[in-house]
Amino acid sequence: MKTTITLITFLFVFQILSQENSTLSGYLKDISSGEIIIGGKIYIPKLKKGTVTNTYGFYSLTVPRGNYLVEFRSFGMKTTKKNINLTTDVRLDLEIEKNLQNIEEVIVNANAEDNIKSTKLGQLKLDINEIKTLPAFMGEVDVIKTIQLLPGVSSASEGGQGFYVRGGGPDQNLVLLDEAVVYNAAHLFGFFSVFNADAVKNVNLIKGGMPANFGGRMSAVLEVNTNDGNKKKIGVKGGIGAISSRITIEGPLKKNKGSFIVSGRRTYLDLIMKAAIPDSSPFSGSSYYFYDLNLKLDYEVTKKDKIFFTSYYGKDDFSFGNINDNFQVDMPWGNGIASLRWNHIFSSKLFMNLNTTLSDYNFSFGSSQDEFRFSLNSGIRDYGAKIGFTYFPNARHKVKFGADYIYHTFTPVSVSAESGNTTFDTGLAQKLFSHESAIYFLDEFDINENIRLNGGLRYSTFQHVGPFTRYIKGDISTPDSTIDYGKREIIKFYHGLEPRISLRWLLPGKSSIKAGYSYNYQYVHLTSLSAVSLPTDIWYPTTDKAKPQRGWQASIGYFKNFLENRIEASIELYYKTMQNLIEYKEGALPGDNIQDNTDNLLVFGNGWSYGSEFFIKKRVGKFTGWFGYTWSKTERKFEDLNNGEPFPAKYDRRHDLSIVTSYKINNRWTISGSFIYATGNTLTLPTSWYVQNQSLLFNYGQRNSTRMAPYHRLDISATWYGKEYKDKIDIETGKIIKVKKKLRTNVAISIYNIYNRANPYFLYVDNDGDFLAGDFEITVKQVTLFPILPSVTWNFEF
Amino acid sequence: MKQLVYLLFLLSLTTLSCTKEVEIDIPEYNEDIVIDGRIETNEPPFILISKSQNIYSPTDINTFINGFVSGANITVSDGTTTVVLEEFCSNNLPPGTESIVSNLLGVSEDELANFNICGYTSLDPSIFGQVGKTYSLKVELEDKTFTAQTQIKAPTPLTNLYWKVDGNLLDYGYAWATISDPPGQFDAYKWEVKRINLDSNGLTLDPNFIAPFSPVFNDDFFDGLTFDFFYDNPQGYEDDIIDETTGLYPKGDTLVIKFSKIDRDVYEFMEKKYVQIATSGNPFATPTNIPSNIIGGALGVWAGYSPTYDTLYCYP
Repeated sequence: MKTTITLITFLFVFQILSQENSTLSGYLKDISSGEIIIGGKIYIPKLKKGTVTNTYGFYSLTVPRGNYLVEFRSFGMKTTKKNINLTTDVRLDLEIEKNLQNIEEVIVNANAEDNIKSTKLGQLKLDINEIKTLPAFMGEVDVIKTIQLLPGVSSASEGGQGFYVRGGGPDQNLVLLDEAVVYNAAHLFGFFSVFNADAVKNVNLIKGGMPANFGGRMSAVLEVNTNDGNKKKIGVKGGIGAISSRITIEGPLKKNKGSFIVSGRRTYLDLIMKAAIPDSSPFSGSSYYFYDLNLKLDYEVTKKDKIFFTSYYGKDDFSFGNINDNFQVDMPWGNGIASLRWNHIFSSKLFMNLNTTLSDYNFSFGSSQDEFRFSLNSGIRDYGAKIGFTYFPNARHKVKFGADYIYHTFTPVSVSAESGNTTFDTGLAQKLFSHESAIYFLDEFDINENIRLNGGLRYSTFQHVGPFTRYIKGDISTPDSTIDYGKREIIKFYHGLEPRISLRWLLPGKSSIKAGYSYNYQYVHLTSLSAVSLPTDIWYPTTDKAKPQRGWQASIGYFKNFLENRIEASIELYYKTMQNLIEYKEGALPGDNIQDNTDNLLVFGNGWSYGSEFFIKKRVGKFTGWFGYTWSKTERKFEDLNNGEPFPAKYDRRHDLSIVTSYKINNRWTISGSFIYATGNTLTLPTSWYVQNQSLLFNYGQRNSTRMAPYHRLDISATWYGKEYKDKIDIETGKIIKVKKKLRTNVAISIYNIYNRANPYFLYVDNDGDFLAGDFEITVKQVTLFPILPSVTWNFEF
Repeated sequence: MKQLVYLLFLLSLTTLSCTKEVEIDIPEYNEDIVIDGRIETNEPPFILISKSQNIYSPTDINTFINGFVSGANITVSDGTTTVVLEEFCSNNLPPGTESIVSNLLGVSEDELANFNICGYTSLDPSIFGQVGKTYSLKVELEDKTFTAQTQIKAPTPLTNLYWKVDGNLLDYGYAWATISDPPGQFDAYKWEVKRINLDSNGLTLDPNFIAPFSPVFNDDFFDGLTFDFFYDNPQGYEDDIIDETTGLYPKGDTLVIKFSKIDRDVYEFMEKKYVQIATSGNPFATPTNIPSNIIGGALGVWAGYSPTYDTLYCYP
């Protein structure tokens, strides 16, 4: 109640302060497709005031009443200027044109200085067209692999999708697809992301200074926004690649009112395997494939109301069979995601987004041999609702407030096993239920011309509720026992305040200093028994035993633009702490959580990370790209691991360097390259061996005390574009004019790991020979996954 | 099962991946005492003591033999009788212990004399293993004392053994067994096997018992149930040719199955031991140190077994 009164008072004060002002508001759209433009800039040169469109393309700018020349800009679009008489509030939905000539100066001005003027610290935005020109692993344009090239972001392993931001674990990244949580963003054991590049509009990464409207994760937010469909005409685009093909169809539901877009992608690995394995082979039942389906609908119900529906369904299916052994394994896993959003404009100053989401991730494993049958399921399902308001009281304030709610159902493990007619007792299917909610308020406030403050507060709560069975392991004197909780019974309640603040101080010479502090709670954990992210990793909630992860991050950065904003540069320093992190106990094995709670197998500890990030990016021109370098240190300390001594995190890397370049030779050819260098990953190898009953056994030393060789790789690509325009005689004037060709194509050729570096994927200690025969030896072996790999993809659009 | 899937996945990548030997700095190791002790029903206790070796230390036969430690004071007690064990060497064994030591070391009885491997035992029948007793071990060595306890559990014999052809291979099959697990208690089992038919030289195919890949299991999922299970033939996986018959027993083989009951601590040791062996080189596995039941900081195990023996003729 107190909070509501404070909020209303706040808004009232803002309202009074803004009575002498008028507000310009509306949507900014692309004229060719009617699609909204995210991050478009609206700027009044006379006042040196401006704003940007939000995720829904909406903007609102409140300024003193008057007649102004207003500029509307966006990356890759022509700047549009309009004289607007702002003596009263004006609603202007504007469609702007693509900049077909790619005049550099036009682009330079678009969103220039955003990086130095915004309070955003540790935030990076990538345009999907930028990602598409970079070298692609096996021809698959990949959002997450591009993210991994940014400073402060590390990849888990060769080709892997897991990404680690500023020393945080892969579960500490909030991955959102149109605001719905994606729990496993990987296909094929992590080599490809679930994001089909044809369905993606843009990608926004927040690795520090998380604003208060985001929460539930400790490290980072990866926002992936999907394309809206074309509101003007039907269009088709797609591509045929080395391992998969994709197609996208879009068009109007009602011209200029609503649209649809459907994208699909499927791999052919199963077809290749089928061709390679003859029917007579005992392994003819083996196959693997994955597919994705994206659907998005949007409709403008009224001038003030828009609805969006997004859904994603993706599945991987691995099967292996041996006819001779009557042995069969099936392992499907995948995500199902849906979000329904309603945007409502209450007034030119108050915008609302109401969102309901469904996120589902499921992993299954089934095997049979002769009379034995075994199946295992695990997964997570979320039903969520969010309401968020953006309030633009005047040009100096941008206020956001709202509430989030998620109902989680976790299934860490559900097992059944049978032999003939005998059914084994594998316990009850474990399900855990919880309510997660939060309210937040933030204000982005220009204190003066140079200082802008983004301050916010988030209050989050988490309830673990029944039904639930707690397994208590006995000892010699006490037998095992259980505690059963009833339906909706509150087992544990957690809550916490999460202050977030960031400050920008504009300096002369197109530069600024920014500083930020954020405190985060995270109520879900990812339990992993292996060194790399796998579909078998189990999401597990906070319980009475597993406390919420929490921690703070402080960062400071210096930002400067050079050469009329053509080049952006930044240096950021950060320090972060993490409490209540989880790991499995020493010696825990898959399946140990059957007839037990997963958290009984966990140990809890803390972590910290600090580092510095250097980033230089050339945004525009024929030659574009970036240089990123990170120096960092990440450690963990668990009372029950490594004798309680601190140890390096498995993704601790001292140096991480990436150089990404792209050169547009002409309208037909673009060439690109990316080079990465990273300190080798840590791992735990045996330090000694011993013999027990004729078996050679290893004893492992300090955790993560060995380092692999450094990782480095150069990829290159070349994209050839077919002619986009053809000459045509204008019947009316008789002149030759250029018209867009119906079918537009390009061919992308990529070469991965061009100098064939044998990078370590993992190391292991091998022993071979017979001790007594005298030919026994122990060696350390390195496994390298990918040698030089060329690929070709043909893309089309009509 | 999980490891199998990952290994299959790795196999599918073998067309792209490659493996090479590398030199890498591995941190210094701690030299630990290793105690490998066992006591079985109606058999004397046997203890081998050695020291762990640096991962890069030589792995020749001399290192192996010289790794065994002499001079320990060892006692074994069943709670009422305490016996001091005597040191013995494989080239001078007390009569009647050859087959036990041969099994323990994996060296044929004929070759035992060629090795000078020293261990500890007692031929006092009062300390021979008896079902239901708990045996305490105490080892004093280099100013350190190590203690451990193990129990010889009441055995649960297999109720049936049979050989069944597998799939389309009419002359090959697995060794199947039926077990009736006693209800209401923790039970853990170990399966070992040796083929006793003769080879072309007139020698038995397997002089000693061999454990398959995952020879131990417990009754967490089948407490009190009766069901059939099978084990594969552990021999043949290291042959040059691996085919669809690998892991199967051909028709005509004669097997002796040694099926032992073990206590919970010994099961924990054995389970982790065989997981470590099976997952060596698997990037998806967690490095697993094997939990010892020995108090005082030594590696290894003090294990009590209550085996039962059955013979299986591989005919339909």
